[in-house]
Amino acid sequence: MKTAFNWFQRISESISAAMLAALFIAFILQIFSRYILNDPISWTVEACLTIWVWLVFWSNSFVVKHDEHITFDLLYFAVKPNIRRVFALIGSLAIMIGIAISIYPTWDWIDFLRIKKSTILYIPMRTVFSIYLIFMVATFTIYLVRFIRVARGEDLDEQAKIADEEIS
Amino acid sequence: MSLQFALCISTLLFLAGIGTPIGYSTILASIVYLIVAGQDIALAAETALWGLYDSFIILAVPLFIVAANIMNAGTISDRLLSFCVSCVGRFRGGLGHVNVVASLIFSGMSGSAIADAAGIGKIIIEMMTKGNRFPAGYAAAITAASATIGPIIPPSIPMVMYALVSDQSIGYLFLAGIIPGLFIGLILMTLNFVIATIRNFPKDEAVSLREMPKITLNAFPALLMPGILLYGIYGGVVTPTEAAAVAATYALLLAGFFYRALKISTLYEIFVRSARSSATIGLVIAGALILNYIVASENIPSQLSSYLVGLEIHPLVFIVCVNLLLLFLGTLLEATTIILVIIPLFIPACADLGIDLIHFGVIAVINTMIGLITPPFGMLLFVINAVTKIPLREIIRETWIFMAVLISSLMVLILFPDIVLWLPEKFGYVSAYQ
Repeated sequence: MKTAFNWFQRISESISAAMLAALFIAFILQIFSRYILNDPISWTVEACLTIWVWLVFWSNSFVVKHDEHITFDLLYFAVKPNIRRVFALIGSLAIMIGIAISIYPTWDWIDFLRIKKSTILYIPMRTVFSIYLIFMVATFTIYLVRFIRVARGEDLDEQAKIADEEIS
Repeated sequence: MSLQFALCISTLLFLAGIGTPIGYSTILASIVYLIVAGQDIALAAETALWGLYDSFIILAVPLFIVAANIMNAGTISDRLLSFCVSCVGRFRGGLGHVNVVASLIFSGMSGSAIADAAGIGKIIIEMMTKGNRFPAGYAAAITAASATIGPIIPPSIPMVMYALVSDQSIGYLFLAGIIPGLFIGLILMTLNFVIATIRNFPKDEAVSLREMPKITLNAFPALLMPGILLYGIYGGVVTPTEAAAVAATYALLLAGFFYRALKISTLYEIFVRSARSSATIGLVIAGALILNYIVASENIPSQLSSYLVGLEIHPLVFIVCVNLLLLFLGTLLEATTIILVIIPLFIPACADLGIDLIHFGVIAVINTMIGLITPPFGMLLFVINAVTKIPLREIIRETWIFMAVLISSLMVLILFPDIVLWLPEKFGYVSAYQ
């Protein structure tokens, strides 16, 4: 189970890295075609933007860990471990509720976009934006797991441990 | 203020306050808004997705992150450093000056203060503390202070984000940062000289003139980069966003082929790491896009603006008050959050009060960069603490004086907009003050 999870993590990471590399290469192609070949290609801009949307939500689904997010954690690490656990529970629960409420309307809107195609590559916008649904499901799962683990009394915050040591 | 907006803001403050990631907190807060206002909940995703999909300039952010990471891994930073040592190491407080000059040059390439501190900053702190030449706290403090110059001198990731929310030209913003950046660099070097004289810090052994050409030659290709970027942007060869790709390519060519200091496995690591940081910033941007949409549809900025214009408040009083607020928020919040979420609130008011938005942008970016070194929440302090293991307490004790000097420099730039606007005006910018 654990090795399967590690593999999954590694593959997701390599997909993120590949997307960033593709973004980079598309940019270079764009500059090259315009200034060296004098024959600008138009699809690169759209490709870059599509990849960017996928990069952000793919990575936030499968690569970025909870403690890597930009977070205001002054208060979180200043309170006692018990209260910190309550904070973690409330935060995870809020994320799950938010996703549960919004997932159907969001799906409805994204599904509706199948009629709209992108201007140059004619990709259905439903395909471009479908990553957001994957992101919602993945985020829900991540915070469900976090909620259960915190509720069971596991300590998930390495940093918090260090903070505790400094106080004592 | 409507009920739904009040609930939105309190949800945001509450969730972010208890340590829920900022990106998720803003998205959740806007969902609360949409529910209470009886609007379609899908609007949250709609605004975020179209916003990310439509803003081409924001693509500069991941590319600059890649460029900065390549430069740190591929010994480009080290070579620049030896060049700086040979130039200014011989003066009183030598390595302190090296620190500032290195930041000035390095910032002309990466556009990120964090990358500056984590890469070149780490190396130079090791040099400064070797053999107890400088107190560790001082070495860390001057590194943090000089890293704030990074995003003021172009290229600059925070300025790209400001351009996104304010609709100003990135080209002029970049130009406007050059003189203020050099100005702050000079001030920091003066301060370092004074402190070094009082506390009797050592000079570095002067590098003999015979060695200079070799060291310069070694660093020369790296030194060319700021020039290439500026020429590319202002010579009309590339857009500022494309310049980010050029920077990354150049760094890749230098590190990979010219200096031969980059392994494929390292390159892979760089891309994974850059993808991670781009994605975390992307999530905050997504949340900010939704929140900005709500704030705009509530007419908050224009209400604020007409209220302030009604008070007949002097523009200078306004800009000083906003800066005090930003400095205060900077002690608590991360720079990305401030630029994307807080600053848009004041932009219409600035425009109505006749404040130039390029001037305001540069001031605001410098202000948020000072926020990076103000405790309790100073990102740069944390990064330096993490990479050098120098205790935060020691760093903070030495940081106060730098903070005071940086804030005074900020005041000077507020009072004398010409320092900021002179260069863009030379390139055809027409400021609101004319």
